[in-house]
Amino acid sequence: MMFEVLQIVVPILTVAAAIVAVYFRDLLSATIALAAMSLLLSMEFYILQAPDVAIAEAGVGACLTTAILIFSIKATKRMEDEK
Amino acid sequence: MRSRDAVALIALVLLGSFMIMSVLPLANMIRPFGEPVNPEMDDYIITHAQNETGANNAVTSVVFDYRGFDTLGEATVLFTAVAGVILILRRYAHG
Amino acid sequence: MDETSKIIKTVSSVMFPFVTIYGLYVILHGHLTPGGGFQGGAIVASGCALLVVAFGSDAIAKRVKESQLSLLESIGALGFISLAFVGIATTFFYNSLAGTKFLFGRIPPYGSNPGYLSSGGLLPLMNLAVGTKVIAGLFAIVLILAIATRKKGGRSK
Repeated sequence: MMFEVLQIVVPILTVAAAIVAVYFRDLLSATIALAAMSLLLSMEFYILQAPDVAIAEAGVGACLTTAILIFSIKATKRMEDEK
Repeated sequence: MRSRDAVALIALVLLGSFMIMSVLPLANMIRPFGEPVNPEMDDYIITHAQNETGANNAVTSVVFDYRGFDTLGEATVLFTAVAGVILILRRYAHG
Repeated sequence: MDETSKIIKTVSSVMFPFVTIYGLYVILHGHLTPGGGFQGGAIVASGCALLVVAFGSDAIAKRVKESQLSLLESIGALGFISLAFVGIATTFFYNSLAGTKFLFGRIPPYGSNPGYLSSGGLLPLMNLAVGTKVIAGLFAIVLILAIATRKKGGRSK
């Protein structure tokens, strides 16, 4: 029962985090939403019994990508331009 | 811009219909989940990986032993990426 | 660059040894538990990125040069290829140490068991080589990006 609930809840949260990351105007918030999506995706990999991929996803996607994106935001602009 | 929206809508409908069709019982009748078509290589690795390589983690024995060339290509990709980043950004880093 | 607060610095100094030890554990036990060279290297590089974010790129760049990291990565790659050449008498990537009485040569019994650390033949050595390579490579990327963007606009000229 617990397994089925997690199988339904975690992908929905992943997709919600991805949609939120697209709609943010503040790029720093979008980066944090992307990190949350990556962490939820690694949890989904763990539920599907692929712990190797889960560790790689959590290390690279949730930490290093976030650090690199934050450094590049610091060098450019924080807010996205209006059209 | 209007035609681009139409193309995106058609692509979305096609992709969504394929994804919904893949979870329907009809698709499971054609090819059931968890029963691959060619399981010979999987069965060989699962039965022989511990005796042949001595590693309990069969994934590591596949990645570094049975499919070592794949890991060599991955290492080459990482090396090329690091070399490119350092080559481009060294000018800005050390002025 | 803006100075980060004392809370961030203290928490990062406390967390960094634990993250590093966990990453090295994942690398060294790659042939027994889930994980391996790439995963453990990514975890250790994440800990180093934490230090770069907390203490600023200038304080880290005084201690570590990216030329040293580049050298370390080349050593890891050459070690991986030369370990693949050890079993060249049979084929490339042949696990010639498994089954011998030498280092890492023990064979565990068939079935699910905790296993021995001294087993797996060439796999732990390859894990170490790939782990060194991934730590140095990813940390070099983060460090040089942090140094290049330490001023607003990225250009220091």
